[in-house]
Amino acid sequence: MLTHEQKNRIGFTYVLNQIRPASPYGRDALRSTQAACPGQEEVLRKELQNIAKTLKTLPQAQAAYAKLEQVFRQTKDIRSSIKRIGGQLSEIDLFEIKQFTLQLEEIAPAFDEINKSAKYHGIAIEGMGPALAILDPEESKVASFHISSRSFPLLAELREEKKSIERKLRLTPDGKKKAELLSQRSEVTAREQKEELEAALWLSKELKPWQDHLLQNTEAIGRMDLTMQKAKLASAGDACMPEITGEGISFTSMSNPQMENTLAEAGGQFTPLSLELKAGTTVITGANMGGKSVALKTLALNVLLIHCGFYPFAKKANCPLLDGIHMISDDLEAADRGLSSFGGEIVKLQEVLSEVREGKALMLLDEFARGTNPSEGGAIARGVCAYMSKQKAVTVMTTHYEGVAALAGAHYQVAGLRKIKDHQALSGELASTPVGERVAKIAGYMDYGLLHICAGEKLPKDAINICRMLGLQDEIISLINGQLE
Amino acid sequence: MESSLFNLVQRYGSLSISGMCKNAGKTTALNSLVKNYPENETLALTSIGWDGEKTDTVTGTEKPGIYVREGSLFATSEKLLRSCDVTKEILETTGISTPLGEVVLVRALSDGNVQLAGPSIVVQLIGISKLFREHGASRTIIDGAVGRKTLCSRALAEATVLCAGASYSPSMEETIAEAAHMCSILTTAELPELKQQMGEGQPNGKYIIIGQENRHLPDEADILAEIKQSKAPRCLYIEGALTDSMLDPLVRSGLLREMKIATRDASRLLISRESSRKLKAAGGELAVLESINLAAVTINPYSAYGNHYHREMFMTRMKAAVPLPVVDVRE
Repeated sequence: MLTHEQKNRIGFTYVLNQIRPASPYGRDALRSTQAACPGQEEVLRKELQNIAKTLKTLPQAQAAYAKLEQVFRQTKDIRSSIKRIGGQLSEIDLFEIKQFTLQLEEIAPAFDEINKSAKYHGIAIEGMGPALAILDPEESKVASFHISSRSFPLLAELREEKKSIERKLRLTPDGKKKAELLSQRSEVTAREQKEELEAALWLSKELKPWQDHLLQNTEAIGRMDLTMQKAKLASAGDACMPEITGEGISFTSMSNPQMENTLAEAGGQFTPLSLELKAGTTVITGANMGGKSVALKTLALNVLLIHCGFYPFAKKANCPLLDGIHMISDDLEAADRGLSSFGGEIVKLQEVLSEVREGKALMLLDEFARGTNPSEGGAIARGVCAYMSKQKAVTVMTTHYEGVAALAGAHYQVAGLRKIKDHQALSGELASTPVGERVAKIAGYMDYGLLHICAGEKLPKDAINICRMLGLQDEIISLINGQLE
Repeated sequence: MESSLFNLVQRYGSLSISGMCKNAGKTTALNSLVKNYPENETLALTSIGWDGEKTDTVTGTEKPGIYVREGSLFATSEKLLRSCDVTKEILETTGISTPLGEVVLVRALSDGNVQLAGPSIVVQLIGISKLFREHGASRTIIDGAVGRKTLCSRALAEATVLCAGASYSPSMEETIAEAAHMCSILTTAELPELKQQMGEGQPNGKYIIIGQENRHLPDEADILAEIKQSKAPRCLYIEGALTDSMLDPLVRSGLLREMKIATRDASRLLISRESSRKLKAAGGELAVLESINLAAVTINPYSAYGNHYHREMFMTRMKAAVPLPVVDVRE
């Protein structure tokens, strides 16, 4: 599975940070989000369908949704008070439980209104009128709480007595008489407090039959809250309901919010990526600056989002549940282990292979073995590619090495400068651009989209084109071309 | 006839009470006020942090609770709720946590003794005051802590009462001298020009020298040299506290004859009696951006340590030493 650091790198943490559940229960649900495993397809589908239901009902039930979010925002995490029900509860526990039941009086009708047409899977929020009645025998419906003496005649009597002593005290000057009254008052107060404890215990026992319902409601609020936030996220970007079937993984026009944001800040634009992956190896090639790693990260992000019950950022998506998502890139491995970057990759590969052989997995290799000498590095990349091509796992490799793509089941190339028809004109334009700004200028012309390459198709020499555009001397360019022949 | 403490402070909607030491008579002063407020007013009480247990752990003297009337509001912490013997209605849990649990707002459904424990952060105290008002409080009293550092700005309380007591020192003279010093610091006047010069924004750095032009200087600036270089400096403003060690070189330099030293409010003037005397001798003067309204001084001739003062003598001499109303609040 992906490490925490990798989740940061692929933009998963960024996406989670966009989500702000309104209730502590929703925040808890978000924190405990886990990737689904094969076998949990039905559960995951239902969770994803709940997002679809929210998006569908939102337009006609906007007010009810707004109401839910507003009251969710007021809830506090009172699960520890609820769990103490049955035993001695303090006045503060009882206050919190009463406040929650009052909040449910607002939440439940709003939820019912939405759920009439939405029909959520596995989310039921119910009003707790009977529990509220226990804590609010006067039906005052105010949020404050006191132990009412209504059902406790002795308590009522003691409070009356205390009041009458206090009335006398107000009129009595300091002295012996006052001291006497004060001591009477202390005695009554002690009895009152004892009765209050018993009353609180009685209330707690009365609440016992509702304990599970209260807890279920906290959980349902958490799920509803998180579902609403997921729907909000889905409607903010271009996201879709994914299919969770088959063996292969395919995405049409997927994107990555973190990278979109980074690019937007620099004045650029993210190019949506489409990929169709089958069991075995797929290779992505392209010049440097070409966004191969971006493609891998965007793929990892969206596969992980689906597994965690989120809409992926794509126009269309299909992904079966996997036992694992693995990503190996030398920038991550070396730093963690103090090995050379190359050694780190190999160690990680061995770790991952044992898992990959056993179940369904997605394996992402970013320029595998680039840290060693090119002739052996190329051989290693080709060997790994050939091996992974025979496995059940879906493997995606990015590489610069020659001959790797030929061993893979499929080959994608970053479009790069391919769409530029007239390199001469662009070179001319670049000539008038200060040297320091040329790289940025070329980046502006790069097309980061992925093109499916058929076997035998000739690839453009983007690296040499870039050399030319950056104004490398003609003499060197012609020597380079000579080398290629 | 001597005016009562209540008469002196009744026009203020919010009040804080501070003691110059432990057992200075803060609770007695609070109780005398609580008793005097008209019955149709809803009084709300909180404290800055928690002052300690029912029995003073240092001296073993019994600490009186505050006896409130039915209908009063108070803020206390979860764990102290048990030691409040009023019949309680829980109004609000605030989410502010203290070592004694969450701060809760309570309405007294009967008369009785309460223990106060509010937040110790000013912003949170302001929040509590706001909640009190939402629940119908017409007046707020804040039981301050010992010492003047928590004697807060007017954002929190319109006026302050200082409690002076025999527990400060066996020597009455010493207690009176210190009380007089505290009063003089606390009543440091506002320099109107300061507000105009500073505008609304925060100062840009730790110091501002106000003269022909205003110079904002950072923490590490050599203030003496900077003052010497300034044209016609009238005031040195310090964002933060003014301490003895900062004041001393300024006094010695002789630069203060024409210049005032100012801080945001009097709670930032952390200078001793001795420094204050030297400053006066050098012709210097203090100023503040926002003055504190010190409404009265209360006296308590009983010492928790056994050195009680002569009640009348303490009163007479305190009155002669401080330019403020002095009240003897007895039980």
